[in-house]
This record gives sequence, structure tokens and C-alpha cells, in this order.
Amino acid sequence: MTEATAARATGARLAAPALSRARLTWLLVVPLLVFLTVFFVIPVGLLFATSLNPQTIGQVTVTSDLTLDNYLRFFSRSNYLLATGRSVALGAIVAAVTLVVAYPMAFVIAKTAHPGRNTALLILVLAAMQLDMVIRLYGMMVILGDEGLVNQMLRGIGLIGAESSVQLMYNFLGVVLGLVQFALPFMILTLVGVIRGIDPSLEEAARSLGASRRRAFFRVTLPMSLPGILSGSLLVFALSISSYIVPALMGGFRVGVLPIHIFQQVAEGARFQFGATIAVILFLLSAGAVAIYLRVGARASGGRA
Amino acid sequence: MSFVEFRGVTKTFGRAPAVEQLDVGIAQGEFFSLLGPSGCGKSTTLRMLAGFIAPSTGSIHVQGRDITHLPPEKRDIGIVFQNYAIFPHMNVFDNIAFGLVERGEDAATIRRKVGAALEQVGLSGYDERFERELSGGQKQRVALARVLVIEPHILLLDEPLSALDKKMREEMKFWIKSIQHSIGITTIYVTHDQSEALTMSDRIAVMDRGRVLQIGSPVEIYEQPRSRFIAEFIGESNLLPGRLARADGTTGAVEVAGAQVPARLAQPGLSTGAEVAFLIRPEQIRLEPWSADEAPMLTGKVADETYQGALRRYRIDAAGQHLTVEVPNRPELAQLPPGADVQLYWRPESGLALA
Ligand SMILES: Nc1ncnc2c1ncn2[C@@H]1O[C@H](COP(=O)(O)OP(=O)(O)O)[C@@H](O)[C@H]1O
Ligand SMILES: [Mg+2]
Repeated sequence: MTEATAARATGARLAAPALSRARLTWLLVVPLLVFLTVFFVIPVGLLFATSLNPQTIGQVTVTSDLTLDNYLRFFSRSNYLLATGRSVALGAIVAAVTLVVAYPMAFVIAKTAHPGRNTALLILVLAAMQLDMVIRLYGMMVILGDEGLVNQMLRGIGLIGAESSVQLMYNFLGVVLGLVQFALPFMILTLVGVIRGIDPSLEEAARSLGASRRRAFFRVTLPMSLPGILSGSLLVFALSISSYIVPALMGGFRVGVLPIHIFQQVAEGARFQFGATIAVILFLLSAGAVAIYLRVGARASGGRA
Repeated sequence: MSFVEFRGVTKTFGRAPAVEQLDVGIAQGEFFSLLGPSGCGKSTTLRMLAGFIAPSTGSIHVQGRDITHLPPEKRDIGIVFQNYAIFPHMNVFDNIAFGLVERGEDAATIRRKVGAALEQVGLSGYDERFERELSGGQKQRVALARVLVIEPHILLLDEPLSALDKKMREEMKFWIKSIQHSIGITTIYVTHDQSEALTMSDRIAVMDRGRVLQIGSPVEIYEQPRSRFIAEFIGESNLLPGRLARADGTTGAVEVAGAQVPARLAQPGLSTGAEVAFLIRPEQIRLEPWSADEAPMLTGKVADETYQGALRRYRIDAAGQHLTVEVPNRPELAQLPPGADVQLYWRPESGLALA
């Protein structure tokens, strides 16, 4: 059904005088705008405003007395700049690792034609998202801790001494592992959608033109899944740099990324204005990733104007 | 031995067979069509030959070699898909170069061959275009160039014209046929459009529900259909219920619409008294105003007339049976208004009795 016939059908169902197309559109768009304003525009606006207010410990202030002091402070302290770099590196590494792990899984799910098996695989992926993050992270601790399964196994097969252990948690590696398992379903679902959307006759055409299965994958399927790779990586990057719970639990507050600093400023120091400043910078990092994605994505899909 | 041979090929998806006991031989250089309604197993047949799916039973041979289990990239068979399957992330040049790159040709050879292929399909200068910048007919040409440039020894075309508008379709029909003719490549053409099959093919296999019903030249298929289904599927037809009044060998007479008319027999085994369908094509009938002089095959009344430009199509009521008659639109032929009494003539060999 085309849009036009859909609109006509809807129009026919509504008794005369029928709603015009434009009115109908407004009816649908207005709630969305209200929602966005209340839950996104206003909070982010307040965050910006707070960050531009002078530091007053213990008080949230939004006055017209604006200053860039908080930002100057942020950019003049090397530990905040280091934290920014750490966050960006973390987001990039997690996105890359997640992509490498997720792509084969997504490929298998997308190519499973049998409807029952396909649904089962998707449910498995979704089930991983059903559990609360804190519970999943405690599960990971059982595996990755100094006395965890991995270390016990390594000792068992004699790769490390009986008294020693490999540090898999409370460091950068732990945070990466935690975030990868957190981000995996998002990446898989994004990729499954894109891989499924690739016309199978393209791969068949490649095959009959002389490409092996492998060659067809690298010359057709992989380049055609680039939009999904980009949007999935962006999503994972944004999720990773803004995650607080994973660095807190898996990094034991020892991996100083921006969300940890925000928490320390706000919850420990009650410095709301400076906390807001770091939050704004984190927000701009995510927005920057979106901007890059939009530009690269447009070029990948053929540079449509 | 045929160039391409299907030997007892059956393909079953789940329960119902999509293709059943297919035994077909195709000669080298032949333009062979698979014709049948949608869902009858044409694409499945083609896809088994291309190597995308494996037969459930039976085997496929090319030049005497069993290729049933050969992967598609080793078959040297080119295929043009219904939706053309142009790689959207590559420009026209890279699309056409795809197979040459896979064959490890050097850059200079690739440039030369792609250039020649583009010229052959009339798209010189389109190298840099992307799929979305091409019309349907141009995509079609790119798809064909991409296949022909690797010089496969079999060309498969799966409903290649169905996505084009009518005018383009006519043009491409003759274009494809002329290219096929000039390079002499063995071609298997899938279509549900009988007029495409009739105009382009050396031979046609008519399929229905996974089975081949008849194989023959366009003339044989049109003039000696072996069943009612084929008669109705190919071209316009008048199929009238009748009874075989006389049968001697390959000819006989049929009682139809209150008269007895001569007929060829589609099946040799038909015996007198058998219920048959009498086939007479609309364009085979000559229509005359009523006169007492000549003995017509049938007499009737004009029920209505449709003006179609090049022809007039009459519906004739003959003793309760309706016949369609097509008359060329020429001024010297009498106008026959609805209600007029008419006489229907045709050559005795034009009528066919079908079991
Ligand atoms: N991959 C498949 N899985 C299940 N059924 C299929 C598949 N491909 C084709 N079929 C079925 O096989 C029959 C023949 O299909 P197809 O060969 O595509 O017909 P045609 O090309 O003549 O229209 C149809 O009933 C179709 O639904
Ligand atoms: Mg088909």
C-alpha cells in the first residue's frame, strides 16, 4: 500500500469532514515534540545553563550571571584532559572489539532462513538484554575476578603459578570486557537488520561471476553492511563513553573516565556546576560521533545530496 | 548428447516439489525458454543450473560433465536476474569488471574488455554511473554486459524484461535476441510471458506445477499444443466443448456448437465419442456476412465488437457457444454490427481436438 492510498484509507475511515493530511500529521508529531521538549531539550538546556554558572558548592544554580570558568578549569587540568582521552579511547576500543565479536554472530542470525531457528537465536540475543546490568556485571566478576573461573583455569593448566593471578578486573581491560558484553546485543541487532536487507541475489551474482563464498563476502556483503557497521559502532561508542555503572563496577573507580569524574564532582564534591560542565563535554563527544557518522554514512550510501 | 542436460531432476522445498522429474536436453547455441505461470518452478530450475541450490534428486550435466555438485563460481555460467542485481556500491565499470577481477586479469585487459562490453551494449561513457543513476533498460544492459564480458558458455536470463515498461520490453526483446544470435551463446530464458517466448525462442518448454508439459518450437507449441492448459496459456484461444464424431489416425471430426467440423487430433489415441475440447485460434477465423451460397464451418450472431485499432475483435454467439474472432481493420472488410448474422470459416487443418 502506498502512502497515498494509506492516507486515503485512513481518511475514509474517519467520518466526514475528514481530517486533512496536514492536520493528521500535526496530530502525530505534536506529542513527539512535547515529549522531546520535556525529556530532552529542557534537561539538556538546564545542564548547559548550569555549566555556565559560577561554582557554588552544594547548590544548583541557574542564573543569568554566565561564565566560562568551569570550562577553563576543565581544559587547564591535565587529569580531565586525560580522562577525556581515556573515554574516547575506551569508546573506540569497545566499538571495535564489539564489532569483531558481533559481526559473525549477526551474519549467522541474518542468514538463518529457518524461521523457528532464527527466532530462537534472536531471543537468545534479546535475553542477554533482559537482565539488569548490575546482575550481569556481578556474573562477570565471578568469571573474571582474581579467584574467578578464568584464573582458576589458568592455574589448573599450569599457565600461571598457584599463588598468582592475571588481573582481568578493576582495570581498563575489565571495563572493556564489561562494556563489550553490555553493547553486544545492540551491535548484533543493528547488524542483523542491515545484513538481512542485502539482496541475496547480489551475492549470487558475485558467485556466478567467479567469486568464491569468501571473495563474495569481502567484495559484496561486507561493503554493503558498512552502513550497519557505522551506525552500530556509533551506538556502541556513545553507550560506552556515557556508561557509569560498568567503569564503576568493573573498573572499581580506578579507571577514571568522564562519567566517573561527573559522579565524583556531583555526588562526592556537590560541585554541580563543574559536574554539569563535564556532562556537557561528554554530550558534545557523543554529538560529534553522530555528526561524523552522518557525514561518513552519507558518503558510504553514495553521497546522495 | 545435449549441451545441457537435466536428468531426472527433482527439487523439494519442505513438502511440495517445486520441480519434479525434469528431463530436458538443450543444444549448443540454442535459445531455450522455460515458460509457465508464476510459481511453476522456472526459477528453481534455473537456480539449480546456476548452482545456487542443489537438486534433491537427479543430476545436471554440461558437455557431458556432471556439474550437480560444482559450486557456482566453477560453472562458467552467466546469469541475469529479474532485478538485475547490479552491485549498488560499485559503479558501472567496476560492476562489469567484477568477473574479470575474479579471474585475475590485469588492469589493461580489464579496461579494454570492459570498454568493449560497454560499447557492445550501447553504454559507452557510462563507466562512472551508479545503479541508482540508471534507468531500468540501462541496468538491464549493464547486467548483460557484466555477464557477457566473462564469456560464459551458458547464459541464463530470469524474467529479464518483467521490470520494464511495455515499449522498453519490445525493444529489449529484439536486442537480447540479436546479441544472443551474434555471439551464439547457449541461452536459457525464463518467462511467464508467452509472447516473449514465442518471438525469441528456438524451443520452448512449457511448465506447470513443477513439471514440463511440452517441449517444442514456437510453431509446434502454438499450433499443436498437447493439452488444454497449453492451448489456453499460449496465445488467445477459443476452446469449445465437443464430442469426437470421427477419428482416423491424426485427423477426425468434432461435433461442436451444433455442427460437425474437421479437426486434427492432438493425441493419437482419441476414439470416437470421446469428450474433447475443440481449439480454434481467433485469428484463424474468417468472418463473412450471412449468405446462402457457401457452406461455413459455423454460423452465428455478432454479440459485440471491440475496436482495437489494428484489429476488430468480435464476440460471436454460435448455438450458445461464444467465440472470439479477430479481424484485421481493413476498409474493404464488411462492418458487422451487433446482432448481424454471420458465417465463420477456417481452413480444416486449423481446428484441433484436445483430450
Ligand atoms: N527457497 C525456497 N524455499 C521454499 N519454497 C521455495 C523456495 N524457492 C521457491 N520455492 C517454491 O517453489 C515453487 C516454485 O518457485 P519458482 O521456481 O520461484 O517459480 P517461478 O520462477 O516459476 O515463478 C513455488 O511454489 C515457490 O513458493
Ligand atoms: Mg521466478
